[in-house]
Amino acid sequence: MIITSNLSKAYNGVQVLNIESLDIPKGQSFGLVGNNGAGKTTYFSLLLDLIQPTTGYIKNNDILVHESEDWKPFTSAFIDESFLIGYLTAEEYFYFIGELRGQNKSDVDSLISQFEDFFHGEILNQKKYLRDLSKGNQKKAGIVAALIGNPEVIILDEPFANLDPTTQIRLKGIIKDLAETKGVTVLISSHDLLHVTDVCERIVVLEKGEVVKDLKTSTATLKELEAHFTGTPIV
Amino acid sequence: MIKQFLSLEWKQFFRASYFQKGLVVKIFLILGALYFGGIALLLGGGMFFLIKKEIPEVDPVILINNYIIYWFLFEILIRYFMQQLPVMNVKPLMVIPIKRNTVIHYLLGKTTLSFFNFLSLFVFLPFSVVLLAKGYPVLNVVCWFFSIILITLSINFLNFLINKSNTVFYIAATLLLALIGLEYFEIFKASEPIGLAFNTLYSQPYLALIPLLSLMFLYNLNFKFIKNGFYLDDAVTKKIKSVEATDLSWFDRFGAIAPFLKNDIKLIWRNARPKQALMMSFVFLFYGLIFYTQDTYREMPAMLAFASMFITGGFLMTFGQLVPSWDSEYYKMLMSQNIPYRQYLESKWYLMVVAVGISFILSIPYLYFGWKIFGMIAAGALFNIGLNSFITLFGGALNRMPVELNTKAKAFGNTNGFNPTQLLIGLPKFLLPMGLFYIPYKLVNFETGIIVLGLSGVLGVVFKNFFLRKIENVYQKGKYKTIAAFGEKK
Repeated sequence: MIITSNLSKAYNGVQVLNIESLDIPKGQSFGLVGNNGAGKTTYFSLLLDLIQPTTGYIKNNDILVHESEDWKPFTSAFIDESFLIGYLTAEEYFYFIGELRGQNKSDVDSLISQFEDFFHGEILNQKKYLRDLSKGNQKKAGIVAALIGNPEVIILDEPFANLDPTTQIRLKGIIKDLAETKGVTVLISSHDLLHVTDVCERIVVLEKGEVVKDLKTSTATLKELEAHFTGTPIV
Repeated sequence: MIKQFLSLEWKQFFRASYFQKGLVVKIFLILGALYFGGIALLLGGGMFFLIKKEIPEVDPVILINNYIIYWFLFEILIRYFMQQLPVMNVKPLMVIPIKRNTVIHYLLGKTTLSFFNFLSLFVFLPFSVVLLAKGYPVLNVVCWFFSIILITLSINFLNFLINKSNTVFYIAATLLLALIGLEYFEIFKASEPIGLAFNTLYSQPYLALIPLLSLMFLYNLNFKFIKNGFYLDDAVTKKIKSVEATDLSWFDRFGAIAPFLKNDIKLIWRNARPKQALMMSFVFLFYGLIFYTQDTYREMPAMLAFASMFITGGFLMTFGQLVPSWDSEYYKMLMSQNIPYRQYLESKWYLMVVAVGISFILSIPYLYFGWKIFGMIAAGALFNIGLNSFITLFGGALNRMPVELNTKAKAFGNTNGFNPTQLLIGLPKFLLPMGLFYIPYKLVNFETGIIVLGLSGVLGVVFKNFFLRKIENVYQKGKYKTIAAFGEKK
């Protein structure tokens, strides 16, 4: 589904990302881990054509991301709060995204009704603008908005951060369900090793912009990751 | 403690984004400050002699006192729309072991350094100096001067109350309108007793106590108001407004651009900054009154063409010049969504066209100045719809200044307009209508000028698709730069 080739990004001659090749097949739940500055967000931004690659390219469903816009209809993302429109209520925001993705009001309604327990009664019918919601609740709204319109690729940058424990567990269920039963390719990044190993079939470790580990998740994965990040010498 | 506060202020000032702009902008800012400061000084110093020369039979002090209320009213008005409330900066201070009272005093004290307070100082200090030099009694003049400054500061604090509480705002507005109404219909001239009061203030120096007391009263009121919120952020940072939801499904008839139109209407209605732009655009409606009433301009039809364009172009300019910037807070999202630039631009264009239309309807009273003037306004409106809108959208592509939606623009902090490219783009907005009217006017006659100006707009509408396509390309080219610029912290 997503083919990355020779991709690099440099700012003023300083390389922040350099991925020789990375293929993510359709329906995979893919996890990206790495310390601050490892290049996770940079990679996601390149995937969404928000920044220009210095070299190389990303192909999303055989569409060159930085040349054509045809990947947009089947790709959705929530990177940070700047993906929200602060002066709308959650419902208005969902309908707005729905309209952009060709969904009518009842389509959106039926989708968000599935997430009522995820919202925990704090998002819908609140008479509050998104900018006045707490960070965690903003994130909930943003994540659900990314599910509107049956996207085939969903990109979530640190979806677990700021969420309360209950919601984290529910979110894990949602992500697993998307990849396993609906065949959606889900890309997430996280600082929480436990969560990624729970959710993702495959985990890639980035360090200073380069892929240093590419693991198929098994029972040993968490230990291996913990060992890696505790600073046991890297071979 | 105060020393540390002051050093914070210093850093805040010199590290502020508008200070770190290019050299050109700095020069413009300094020139602008010098210009306005200079005008105020000149006005203050020259006022005495001017009045003496024009109306020799009245003592300038008495005349000033009679009309000074209008100055204060103007000040309240401009402050209400322009002055920023002290926000945010206190947040980091709240967890530090400093007494809450100290923080509040500091916060309130800081507002006395606002540009608006200096405006009064700059006008009335030289005026008072002139008075002293002319041999007016020292005690009276000095006390009067301090009274004026005290009243200015009182207005400073009154403004916060007006801004913070709707009740105070409505009371003040009603009172003001009532007084203006009574004055206008000559039922009760409030300005006379007020003028008398100011004259008494001058002749009885000890009365300077009254403004002093009013200042103390208002200061304390503000103090209590903030303190009663107990936690500073209740009163000082934004308050959570409950949603004003309106049914906008009527707009669905606009098809593909409907979601954007609905969104833009909410954008304008629910955010301080675009609302301010909307208010400003109403002011433009009155532009004609300056030009049409004066015979000097009647002789200069090119200037009239310029004014006519301005009357209906208020919204187009105040809102339109910041077009992609309004969406800067969530631009990344828009760019990763399934949105053709074309629809985005088209919806903004329709918004401007509707605004020009509404302004045009509101300008019907200008018929009073005759059909020629009104024809000009109509031609100006057509020009705005057909050409000015595209020029403005094109200029927007080169404007990469992020906008904080829910913060009012500062009087001097806002350098969005000081962008050199923006200035260059601004020129055709003014020069084109003047040229389009003036050349055929000189060659043929007045009517031809109007027709050519109007036709230029119609042609613009005919070639709408062509223009939009060109503008779309410019936006597309600048996409990454714009995203990066909007992502920067303000």
